[in-house]
Amino acid sequence: MAGAMDLPAKGGFSFDLCRRNAMLAEKGLKMPGFRKTGTTIVGLVFQDGVVLGADTRATEGPIVADKNCEKIHFMAPNIYCCGAGTAADTEAVTDMVSSQLQLHRYATGRESRVVTALTLLKSHLFSYQGHVSAALVLGGVDVTGPHLHTVYPHGSTDTLPFATMGSGSLAAMSVFESKYKEGLTREEGIQLVSDAICAGIFNDLGSGSNVDVCVITKGKTEYLRNHQLPNPRTYVSSKGYSFTKGQTEVLSTKITQLKPKVEVTESDAMEE
Amino acid sequence: MGDSQYSFSLTTFSPSGKLVQIEHALTAVGSGQTSLGIKAANGVVIATEKKLPSILVDETSVQKIQTLTPNIGVVYSGMGPDFRVLVRKSRKQAQQYYRLYKETIPVTQLVRETAAVMQEFTQSGGVRPFGVSLLIAGYDDNGPQLYQVDPSGSYFSWKASAMGKNVSNAKTFLEKRYTEDMELDDAIHTAILTLKEGYEGQISSNNIEIGVIRSDREFKVLSPAEIKDFLEEVE
Repeated sequence: MAGAMDLPAKGGFSFDLCRRNAMLAEKGLKMPGFRKTGTTIVGLVFQDGVVLGADTRATEGPIVADKNCEKIHFMAPNIYCCGAGTAADTEAVTDMVSSQLQLHRYATGRESRVVTALTLLKSHLFSYQGHVSAALVLGGVDVTGPHLHTVYPHGSTDTLPFATMGSGSLAAMSVFESKYKEGLTREEGIQLVSDAICAGIFNDLGSGSNVDVCVITKGKTEYLRNHQLPNPRTYVSSKGYSFTKGQTEVLSTKITQLKPKVEVTESDAMEE
Repeated sequence: MGDSQYSFSLTTFSPSGKLVQIEHALTAVGSGQTSLGIKAANGVVIATEKKLPSILVDETSVQKIQTLTPNIGVVYSGMGPDFRVLVRKSRKQAQQYYRLYKETIPVTQLVRETAAVMQEFTQSGGVRPFGVSLLIAGYDDNGPQLYQVDPSGSYFSWKASAMGKNVSNAKTFLEKRYTEDMELDDAIHTAILTLKEGYEGQISSNNIEIGVIRSDREFKVLSPAEIKDFLEEVE
């Protein structure tokens, strides 16, 4: 018969296991790795709104875990967020804030604002003291105009006209620094974002595969999934591979019967 | 609230086996403004009277019909503040369901969870039952659906139902007028006529509210202009 109201949520990082983990690490236990998104993510403000861009490679150390993952996450119909860092963290934190924004929209009856998403994200990340490894580029258009922000894992944010994050951020930023200007048109904005992402794809090992673009303007959002595919998969043979008998040398043979023989005997039926 | 020494339930059985507090809650519902819902072949309509305590109240600031998810809406009869609390909780439950299953919550699930909350308040320490009955209208993969949830937490699926002051007349009227293959626009007309039956005074687009969900699965509260069009068609 516990109280009907929920207990207040206990947020923040739980330090309960830190001592145990430190002791285990001392004893030589290797901490498990996690999938990171390597990544090049970018955003810029153009004359009618914002354009976000991302590559589509997810890495697990030196291995490509996903050749075509989605790094541009939905926050609200007018707000999208690119995520770099640990894939699980960026997914979870953007889903959580997206859900909170939806509840807020119902409660207020208004379109969500980018600063609301920004504040929800940074408060959450700060309370976890950088352990939620999510580096985000948040962009959108609301009643107060177009906005672009970067959010760092420890909870700090920047407000910028153009931004890049991830391991490919330097490659992408070099493109932006040389070609960005105020008042870009939609086509120029998309082209510049694609160029920046391509710079990351080709010059950074942690980024690769395709270019995703998202254009947000007042009243309209276009998610251009796989806007560019500069790394098409070329297959060796469309017929597949043939492995004929005799190609592999047989050293020894042993046959084990898996199905034992079943004997059927006539007997009385079971009694009811 | 649950931890104090005096946290015993206030809703207890009477010798005749009734939970008197729930009966009283139903009385509170019965003296609330009439609301009704009709399930058509291709959608659901819910409607309610919107009688304000004085002509000085800004009627645009009051919205009795609320959206719980893009494809589920709700209306009530009874105590407005209790309704607000339930709406808030239901919206949160719908979001939690989505976060857990990455599936938009089916209508039956949301009804079940809301009813569970209402039941909790009949069996928990230090709280009273909600003084509202809800009509939840939704459209999902199982088609159009209409559910009524009572303060006890019991719920039923209805083809058409009414609650509040004028419930018996409204239900009789609906029983006569309801047909299985009704189209949504007919249902809206029937809903308006049913409200008109029990309305003290002249109904207009400013003193009733209508919520509709069609096969596009988007719950919408009709604007006064849209209500006016339907009213004119009815007359």
